[in-house]
Amino acid sequence: MDVATPANPKGIFDRSAKGRSLAPVNVLVERGSIRFFSRVLGQIDSIHYDVEAARAAGHPDLVAPPSYLMVIEALASDELKRRGAQTAAELVNFDFRYLLHGDETYAYRAPIYAGEEVAFSTRVVDFYDKKGGAMEFAKLECDVTHAERGVLVRATRTLLHRLPGAAS
Amino acid sequence: MSVDLLAAFPGAQLPELHFGPISRATLALYAGASGDHNPVHIDSDFAKAAGLPDVFAHGMLSFGVLARVVTDWAGVSRLRSFGARFVSITQLHDRITCRASVVERFESDGEPRVRLALVATAQDGRETLRGEAVVALV
Repeated sequence: MDVATPANPKGIFDRSAKGRSLAPVNVLVERGSIRFFSRVLGQIDSIHYDVEAARAAGHPDLVAPPSYLMVIEALASDELKRRGAQTAAELVNFDFRYLLHGDETYAYRAPIYAGEEVAFSTRVVDFYDKKGGAMEFAKLECDVTHAERGVLVRATRTLLHRLPGAAS
Repeated sequence: MSVDLLAAFPGAQLPELHFGPISRATLALYAGASGDHNPVHIDSDFAKAAGLPDVFAHGMLSFGVLARVVTDWAGVSRLRSFGARFVSITQLHDRITCRASVVERFESDGEPRVRLALVATAQDGRETLRGEAVVALV
């Protein structure tokens, strides 16, 4: 049931963004980026580093690790900024002084490979409050989509502001 | 990278994984590799101006490490879903232990799968992430 929530007077998120989406952005997945990201996380599987090992395992190129969606998202966000288009941070109005990540869930449908161009899209699903308005939440959904292979990964994410000066 | 199908029954523990201590260099590298340049993770001046004691770790750094406890065991290609709740902030210098256990074995989309319960804890026992993963056993 969808119950209208009274606006949080201390809220920072722009709640008029509910139901809105960002323009999808195409991103080229690069080998070097997969290697760097994998190395920082300590990935041990050579399919993230070595093209021959990836091919021997049946993949066309290096395979992105499970949380690589964030890298694609950052590249998409950079591209939106270059175009002067609205980013997720602007659409939802993040305040990085108070912003925290609540949860993140990925549904994997197919691997993301180096050398591919993929589209990144973001939808604003909902906003809600907790702790008498001391915390406000934004729920987003993001897709990484390949033109022929369809949606590769769908992310569901909750972000929150721990609001300054709000009673908890 | 072999998945022991016979052992993948409720209660089975996956090999645990250790990461850290998380240094400022780790956070700088993760910022560079991920493209998440939020200054609260890499700029102590910014963090202090926001009323925090210091920079703290990107939640998604711990998230990526927690996913490894599953993929080191089963391989990336078998991962069907992975998610986590950020229970508490991962602090600078934390040493993280990631654990996973099988909670359910079931069939979906014509393949045998297991659901895993995941937890990341810091050196003092503080839980930082709680997660869940679904892995195909084929």
